[in-house]
Parts: sequence; structure tokens; C-alpha cells
Amino acid sequence: MMWVELAWLIPVIPLVAFPFILFFGKSIPKGGGLLAIVAVGAAFFLSLFVVVDVSQGNLPVHGGGEGEPAGGGEAVHAYESSMVWTPVPGPESPLEVGVHIDNLTCLMLIVVSLIGWLVVIYSVGYMAHEEGKPRYYAEISLFIGVMLGLVVANNFLMVFIFWELVGLCSYLLIGFWYKKPEAAAAAKKAFLVTRVGDILFLVGIIAIWNYFGTLNFGAIQEQLKTMLGEGALDVQMLTTMALLVFGGAVGKSAQFPLHVWLPDAMEGPTTVSALIHAATMVNAGVYLVARSYFLFEHAPDALLVVAWIGGITAFMAASMALVSNDIKRVLAYSTVSQLGYMMLALGAAGYSASMFHLQNHAFFKALLFLGAGSVIHSMGTNDMREMGGLGKKMRLTSLTMLVGVLAITGVVPLSGFWSKDEIIVSVFHSGNWPLFLLAVVTALLTAFYMFRLWFMTFSGKPRSKEVDHAHESPCIMTVPLLVLAAFSISTGFIGTPFWPRFQEFINWGHHGGESFGATSGMLMAVSLVVALTGALVAYLLYYRRAASPDRAVSSGAGRAVHTLLTQKYYMDHIYYWFAERVVYGFTRVCDAFDIRVIDGAVNSMSDGAVRAGGRWRRSVSGNVQHYAVGIVIGLCLLILLLKFALPPLDELLGGWPGLSRWRWWEGWGW
Amino acid sequence: MVESSLPVLSLLVVLPLAGAIITFLLPRRLAVASRWVALVFSLVPLLLSLYLYVLVWTAPAPTATPGYLSAESLHFEEDFEWVPSLGISYTLGVDGMSLPLVFLTALLSCLAIVFSWSESRRPKEYFGLMLVMEVGVAGVFMALDFFLFYIFWEVVLIPMYFLIGIWGGPRKDYSAIKFFIYTHVASVVMLLGIMGLYFQCRDALGHATFSMVEMAKVAPTLAPGFQCAAFAALFFGFAVKMPSVPFHTWLPDAHVEAPTAGSVLLAGLLLKMGGYGLLRVAIPVLPAGAEAAVPVMVVLAVASIFYGALLCIAQNDLKKMVAYSSISHMGFVMLGAATLSPIGISAGVFQMFNHGLVTAVLFMMCGVFHHSAGTREIGRLGGLAGKVPVAATVFLVGSLASLGLPGLCSFISEFLVIYSAFVSFGAWMWIPVSAVVLTAAYYLWAAQRVLFGKFRVDLPESERGRLEDLHISEAVALGVLIALIVLFGLFPSAVLDMVNPVSAAVGGLFGGVG
Repeated sequence: MMWVELAWLIPVIPLVAFPFILFFGKSIPKGGGLLAIVAVGAAFFLSLFVVVDVSQGNLPVHGGGEGEPAGGGEAVHAYESSMVWTPVPGPESPLEVGVHIDNLTCLMLIVVSLIGWLVVIYSVGYMAHEEGKPRYYAEISLFIGVMLGLVVANNFLMVFIFWELVGLCSYLLIGFWYKKPEAAAAAKKAFLVTRVGDILFLVGIIAIWNYFGTLNFGAIQEQLKTMLGEGALDVQMLTTMALLVFGGAVGKSAQFPLHVWLPDAMEGPTTVSALIHAATMVNAGVYLVARSYFLFEHAPDALLVVAWIGGITAFMAASMALVSNDIKRVLAYSTVSQLGYMMLALGAAGYSASMFHLQNHAFFKALLFLGAGSVIHSMGTNDMREMGGLGKKMRLTSLTMLVGVLAITGVVPLSGFWSKDEIIVSVFHSGNWPLFLLAVVTALLTAFYMFRLWFMTFSGKPRSKEVDHAHESPCIMTVPLLVLAAFSISTGFIGTPFWPRFQEFINWGHHGGESFGATSGMLMAVSLVVALTGALVAYLLYYRRAASPDRAVSSGAGRAVHTLLTQKYYMDHIYYWFAERVVYGFTRVCDAFDIRVIDGAVNSMSDGAVRAGGRWRRSVSGNVQHYAVGIVIGLCLLILLLKFALPPLDELLGGWPGLSRWRWWEGWGW
Repeated sequence: MVESSLPVLSLLVVLPLAGAIITFLLPRRLAVASRWVALVFSLVPLLLSLYLYVLVWTAPAPTATPGYLSAESLHFEEDFEWVPSLGISYTLGVDGMSLPLVFLTALLSCLAIVFSWSESRRPKEYFGLMLVMEVGVAGVFMALDFFLFYIFWEVVLIPMYFLIGIWGGPRKDYSAIKFFIYTHVASVVMLLGIMGLYFQCRDALGHATFSMVEMAKVAPTLAPGFQCAAFAALFFGFAVKMPSVPFHTWLPDAHVEAPTAGSVLLAGLLLKMGGYGLLRVAIPVLPAGAEAAVPVMVVLAVASIFYGALLCIAQNDLKKMVAYSSISHMGFVMLGAATLSPIGISAGVFQMFNHGLVTAVLFMMCGVFHHSAGTREIGRLGGLAGKVPVAATVFLVGSLASLGLPGLCSFISEFLVIYSAFVSFGAWMWIPVSAVVLTAAYYLWAAQRVLFGKFRVDLPESERGRLEDLHISEAVALGVLIALIVLFGLFPSAVLDMVNPVSAAVGGLFGGVG
């Protein structure tokens, strides 16, 4: 029995826990938290065993035999097991449900289950005083289950199904405090904005199913290989499909222009922000592009679009993070920006760089969010202007957050340095100078706003009374912080240019891997200098107070830029205007049209019948002479009708209704 | 072909009829007992139909796809002569297309009775009429004789008319008469088509018959011109019933006034008669007419889906919103039918089945909110989730099912309809696809306003409800429906396996792959 054959259990365990926590949570310790910890922990350890199996090449071949070692024939790189879900009439393959475990799956399994587990543990402290804990833990378990389902799914439809379900969990958890109107509005916004992307994805799936006749990842790849060999590949079609799939990724991973939902999603509990809106669900879009990279590889135009969307998103979100004073929103913009970075890497053919950054980012961003949660938990506010000087009160939180800040900034040797550097290298090698510039500038901005966040929160003098009452969070919250901090420092070491084990693993079976030329060292220096510059500026402005940032934005161009950024490039305004004025206005017009015109026609027809009846009644006068005239006129009309109008009508209708069959006039010599 | 020694299909009609007669004849002092009679006489058909479903489902599949309405594809057939001189017979039978709908009929009738357990206004008549309705709808789904089909079709109008007219809201008279006349006019036009079909088939066959089986064999050979005319007549009858834009305006009026159980049966079952007629009768019997009508069907279907969704957004009455959403969702049935492809037809039938389950939940919840808060007006409500959490959860699940969330039943049927529509009609199917976003918008917006935020009910104290959460009978009915919504969402093949052979046979008439 190999562990990998039990892979289907990984999503099932938390999914089974979901109804139990929902219905019986009140009688489980910690409002169901204990069961959630057990279930997600089990999923994590099972994932771990599966990953060990896969990394040792310990895979069954087509239901039974041992995986052959590389060299003897074609090595096995993936485990696949599936069954028919529902058959469809017609030539298309039946819809199936199954698991596909390969190196990419392994990466996601570990990221999702480990961070999920830590967040659930942390929640026991963070949510201790909240109402509705069973609902919270049930939804978190459901989320982790469907997210794990998403990453093990072996076909596009299953991915889509779990894709929508993680969206549902996101909706439910953003709106966890449903009595807050902002939370309810943010939940709806998140669902609707991502759904715009989802329909693109759905149409992409339809196109793929129609074109390949199957939705199975492996089967599509086989067909692509054959088509490529025959030169029968329709590149334009492939580009269309790739871009439609990418549309889904744009929604879920909050890429421009559908990024607007993620900052608002911070209305949910911070644990939710950490897990769903930073470390796991928002990565689903990047994962999707990586998973369907076989479509993108042969569609250079699609890759270019991915790169540009990623680059624009990275820069735009970073710029908005510069001016936000809400600690969670800064982190949210930072997440959008880093996801853009991953997309940019994918578009620039930096497949392994992107996945590497996905992994590292998941750890340090979860750390940053949970650290922010620790601060919020003790302060009761998100506003950094009311913080300051918290470093002394919350030593552990401030130090672990500093690790996170250093990691995301890309300071050697923390994890962010290695992956970010690799992304910059791959963009550099793609030869697209504007994108390279965007990437470097974004790195600069990132360093600045992250250190700004840290200095505003932890250094200087307290700016409000709440700081005096601040205290370090309990162990159940700080231990996950320490674990995540350890990961944020160390996950980079498995993918350094000197020891690229991560890249070997993730490229195993698919890709040749990107080469690190002599430029690598030079670019490393560049990215490090850029990061330190950003940090230095933040140090001068927010620690040394060498100059007041407020004065710079109080007039002229600085003010215009500041307004543009605080107004989020006016994109929310445009969307609200479109939804409220255009769509809602149009529906009101339709409603009036429906009542006045369509139903009006129905009613006026019946009114007309009543009125005509009233008029007709007057013709029934009781005068026999009137009746006689009526009879004669009617008879004449009838004869004319039967003789002249019906035969052609019959002919027109192909002998139906056969009204002229009775040729009564023939005997009369007509 | 699965057979039974008992006339089981007749029982599905006769039992509710007997129940109805008993409730009507009960002495007035035993009026409260009528609900028990109704429960028993709707529960037995439900179990019976479930039994039939399982029998057919577990029967060994035929090796080749059986032809449409062939002896192999029909189960439990009963055939008795009725008026031999006119070729009228009493023929009942079910196949994979009708059996899910027969089950749905028995299910929703029974659950509607359970849901309205505490109805105190003239309960005898109320429950009796619901049973009569079950007779009519089940008969429509089982009749294999056009004459019988038409009789059952018209039987349905009468109980619905009274349900709206007696137990309805303030404008009940207007709505009841509008419902009756509008759909009756449509039925008469349909009858015209049936009569034309009857005479033409008589000429072609050499003997008179109303048998659908015989007509389905000979009618496709008739002149295309005739087929188009007959299709138009039948189509009008079915399109009004579904209803399709622009023949839909009777529906919101009827729903707004109808009592909750009436709405459940109206949207859950009556509308399905239109879709069933289209898929079972009009399209396979008159293929040339159907092919000619494809552009019309596509345009009407897309209009229903998109325009219906737009109208939902503008509504302020929760129930009217759900009513308009029915128009939008039944548009998917017509869109699937318009593809004339096996997948589209399978998905259309499945969509009807799913819509029956989902819309029943939503209409029941409109009734619950109306009762517990005192109003259904979205603008006057807020934050109900804090006061009636179970009801709020059920409403949310129903909304999510209706907006096509995967894992719940409607997703797979809408996905397959959209797939087949894209394959058949190409890029401008973007219009119905984008309606999916609108659907999510109106449900979630309504949920946001009614369930979330601060609690409020903008009514004078005297008109407010008592904010009670679900009663036990309501919870039972809704619980069963939610369980089925999840079940068929996880195992769509439980219905699709049944429908697929029939839709393959129908699609085969159009050069689709059978």
C-alpha cells in the first residue's frame, strides 16, 4: 500500500469534519476547533506522506506495479486515479472525478495543509471570544477540504467545481460578522467580481472540452503532443482557450482589473485573511495557470498577456499599498502585488520561479497576516496611525513580523530573496525591458511599504491610549507565528542557485528548467540593492522622521498622485457607477417595459375583447331585417373564402388543414 | 422495458384522485383530518414512484440505444381502448425522460402538503385541490395518448385557479383569471395543433389514432410545411406554460398572489409541463418543424434567460424576484431543447428536475419570511439571519443552488446546457453565460439586504410577524429538498443515466450522434 493511493482522503477528511462541526460544534471543545485541528492535521500528515512517496519516485504504474526508475523506459511522474462521475450522451468523454498527484500537486498540498493547520491552531486563540465558533470552524474545514480538492483534481471540471466552492467559503468567511454591513457588502463583492472571471474560465472549459473531447489534464497533454507532432495545432484556438482559463485566474488571484475585491475582503476575521486571502485561495489562480501551462506553452500571445497583467497588477497594487493606513489593507495590496509577481514570472516562462515564489510567499504572508492579527487582537483597531511603539509591548510579534518583512522585501538570505531574485532573472531573460523595469520598481515599492508598516506599528512613540493596554498574545497564537517565521527564513534554501533542489523537483517531468547564466549574480546584487534602498527610505521617513511624508503629498503633483492612490485609481468608483447606474438603471427600465409594454399588450388585448363584445352586443338589436342582411353577407363571404382563399392556403401548409378537400363547387359546374 | 403486474402508473393518478374525493367528502367537523388523508394519499404515490425509479434504474441497460418511444424504452405501459371509433385510448407509460418528472411531481405534491400542514383556512378544499393538481400533472407526464394528454393538461388549470382565487393575496381575482385565460388560450392553440396532427396522421396511417407512439413514427414523414404549422401551434402552447419571454407576464402575477404551496406546485410542476411538452412531443414528433423553429427557440430562450435575470434585479418583492428567476432558469430548458442535441436535451430535462427542487425551496422560504417577518418586501427587511438563523441558512442554500453553485444540483444541468449551446450556436452564447453573473448578483444582493446587516423590519408593530424560525413541518419539507439538492449535485448521474438514452434517441432524429 502506497500512501499516494490514499491521496483522495486528503480533501475528504476535512470535508467530512465540516458537517460534524456545523451540527455538533457546540458540544466539541473550543466550539468545534478541536475537531478542525485534528481533521486538518490528519490531512497535513497524509499530505506529507504522499509527498515523501512522490519525491522518492515511489509511484504505482497504472494500478499496481512499482514506479520504474528513470532510465529504464519512461519514468512515471504522476499518480492518477479516476472514476466516471456522470456520463453524457454524445462523443464527449464522460465527466470524471479523480485525483492527479504530481510534483505541482505536492507543493500545493503542503502549502495548503500546513498553513491551514497552523491557522486553525492560531484561531483557537484569536477567535476565543467570538460568537458562532462552530460556524467558523465548519467553514474553515470546508474551505481547507475544497482547497485540497482543487489541487488534487485531475480534470478541469473538478477544478472548476472546487474553484467555485473555495469562492463560496471565501464569501461565507468574509461575511462571518454578517451583522456588519461592510462585511456583508464585501462578501457579495468578492463573490460577484470573481464570478466575472469564473464565467470566462467556464467558457474556456467548454472550449477545451469541445476541442479535445476530454477535460482530463493528462489526456489533453497527450493529444497536444500528438497534434504538435502532426503540426495540426490550432495556435489561435489554443490562445483563446488559454486566455479564457487565465480569465478565471485573474478573478481568483485578484489580478488587474478584477483585483478590487481583495482589499475589501479584509472585513473578514484576520485568520481568514491569512489563510484564504493570502496564503491559499488567492494562489489558486496562479496554480491554475501553472496546472494548465501545457496550453500556455504553445500560445506565446497568451503568455505575453499573462506577463503584462501580472506586471501591471504587481506595480499598481504596490503603489496603492504606499498610502494605506490600515494594516490589513497594506498586506492585502501586498498580496495582490506579489500574486502579480507570480503571474509575471509565469508569463516570462519562469515556471519554477513562480512556483517557488508561491511557496515562499504563502509562508511569509501567512506570517505577516497572523502577526497583524496578533496586533489587532491586542489593539482592537486596524489603523496604523493609532499604533506605534508596540515593539516593546509585543516583542515576539514584532520580531516574527520583522522576519516576514525582511522575507517579502527580499533581504538575503530569507526566502523571499531567492524566489524574487529568480523571478527578476527570468523576466530579464525574457528580454522584455518594460516588464523588467516594472518588476524592479515594484520590488523597490514593496521594500518601502513593508518597512513603513513595520516602523509605523512597532517603532516610535505610542500614538493612542490603546497601545498602553496592548499585551503579547497567548502561546497558541505566538507558536504558529514562530513556526511560520522559521519557515519564512528557511524555505528559500531549498531553491538557491547553489542548491536548486526545488527547481529540480518542480520541473521534474515537464520542463527543461530555466538556466541561471552569469547574469544571475549581477541581478542578485541589483535586487538586493533595490530592496535595501526601499527599506532605507522607509527608515528615514518613518523611523528617523528625516522628512515628513505628509508635506510631500500636501500640494501639487504629490497631492494629485496621493489622491489617485488613495482613491484606488478610481476603479471602484467606475465599477460602482457601472453596477448602480448602468446595470441597475437598465433593469429598472426593463421592469417598466415589462409592466407597461409586454403586460400592457396582454391586458389591452383582453380589454379590447371586452370592449368589442360590448360593441357587438349592440348589433344584436332584435331587428329581424338586420339579421337577414347579416346572413346574406355572411354567406357570400363564406363562399368566396372557400373557393378562393383556402386552396392556396392549403397548398402553402402542405395540404393542411385540408379545408379545401371538400370540393363542393365541382358538382355545381364552377 | 420494465414491467409490473400491478397497474402502477394508474395508481399514481388514481390514489391522489381518491384522496381528493375523500377530503372533499369529509364532514366539516373532521376538516382537520383532511391533511392526514392528503398526506397518506400523496405519500403512497411518492413511495411508489420512488420504487419505480429504482426499478428502472437498476434494470439492465439495453445493449443498443432504443428508438424514441419504442417498446424497449417504455416502462410499465398500460393500454386500454377508450373511444375506439376515434382512436382514443387510455395509454400510460414512462421512459427515462418522464420518470424523473413523475418522481418530482409526487415529491413536490407530498412536500407541499407537509409544508402547509398548519393551513387553517378551509383545509379540506385546500388539500383536496392540491391532490387534484397532482392527478393532472402526473397524468401529463405519463400519458401516451394525445387526447388523454390534453385532458390532464386542462385538469391542472382548475385546482390552480381555485388555489389562487381563494387562498390568494389582495389581487387574487385578477391574477387567477389572468392565469386561467392566458394559459387556456395557449392550450386551445395547442389543441389545434394536436387536431391537425391527428387528421394528418389519420390520412397517412389509414386509421384514426391519438397514440403518441404511432404518431411519433409517422408524423416525421409528413410534409415539412404542415410540420412547421403544427409545431408553431404546439410550441405556443408550451412556451406560454414554461413560460418564455414574451408570454411570461401571467407568471409573476400568479406567483405574487398564490399561496405558498400553490407557488411551489406552480413553479415546481406546472412550468415543467411546458418544457416536457416541448421535449417529449413537439421536437421529436415534428422534427422538421423543430429544425425550422431553432432560431426562434434560441432567441426566445436567450431573451428569457437574460431579460428574466435583469428583471429579477429590479424587484422589491422577494417572491416576485423568485418568480422572474423561474423564467430565467426555464430559459435554459428551452436553450437546451433548441440545440436538438443529445446533451442539450438531457441537460434540459435535468434542469427542469433541478429547478423543481430549487424553486420549491425558494418559494417556501418566501412564505416563511412573509409569515415570520410580516412582509416580503426586500426594502423593509434586514438582518434576519440574526433572528431566524435556520431559515436564513436554508434560503442561502436555495439561492446558491439557484445561482448554479457546483456541488448543488443546478450547476451540472446549466453547465451542460451552456456547453451544448456553445457547440451548436457559437460565440453569441456569451449572452446567456453572462446572465450567470446577473443571477449571482440578484440572489446575493437580496441575501445581503434581507439576511445580513442590522436587524430591521419596517412595519408598524401590529403588522409584524413573530419572527419564528422554521416550524417542524416546514423544516421537514425543506430538509428533504435540501438533502436532494445536495444529493443530485453530487450524483447527477442518478438522473442523467436515466435520461441519456432517451435524449440520444431524440438527438438521433437530427443527425446528432445517438
